[in-house]
Amino acid sequence: MTRLSKENHTQILLIVGLLSWLVPGAGYFVLEEKKRAIIIFVTICLTLCIGLYIGSIGVIDLQGQSPPYVKAAQLMNSPVVLLLANRTAGGGYPVYGWPNEIGQIYTMVAGLLNLLCVINAVSLAHLGKTAPAGD
Amino acid sequence: MSVMDFLVIATFTAPEHIYPNPQAMLWLLPLTATIAIVYKATKLPTITLDLFLKEAAILFGSIVGFIIITASVLYALAWLISA
Repeated sequence: MTRLSKENHTQILLIVGLLSWLVPGAGYFVLEEKKRAIIIFVTICLTLCIGLYIGSIGVIDLQGQSPPYVKAAQLMNSPVVLLLANRTAGGGYPVYGWPNEIGQIYTMVAGLLNLLCVINAVSLAHLGKTAPAGD
Repeated sequence: MSVMDFLVIATFTAPEHIYPNPQAMLWLLPLTATIAIVYKATKLPTITLDLFLKEAAILFGSIVGFIIITASVLYALAWLISA
């Protein structure tokens, strides 16, 4: 019985983590934290879109010359980044200079904030709390 | 695909023209707001509109204030060294 509940607990943590990565804020949504989920979804999606607007989808360059930390941070956004990377793989959307840098910074920060939300949602699910302890 | 869809997608396929001038530094403001909003959304025990806006605004102001102070100190140092 204990082993079964432990397995269920691990499954719930995995589901919350995976959902949080698939759709920003979805992990909070399944934890009944709807306001938090909406705020996070809107903010992270908007930041990613601003980054893509400034630098174009060319800033997502997973198979190109971008440093590994840029690619890793961008991947934290959601699987949408993988679809965009597939689209930009041939180098058909070149972007240089400040638009590239600012676009990369925005998409990276959106990804890193989503990573923070994934970790926080999994932590909340693990502790069984419905609200964080505050700062 | 409608013309509207095409226009929306087209805005994401060509980069904006941003030049390395002091005004380009203003692009940090939306990013700072994003960080403040998401951080406070993860940290506040309960989210109410007025409390959330207040806390996020305080954090946003703190980050921008610290950046301005740091920039001022670095500018003063650069001025002293080059004078």
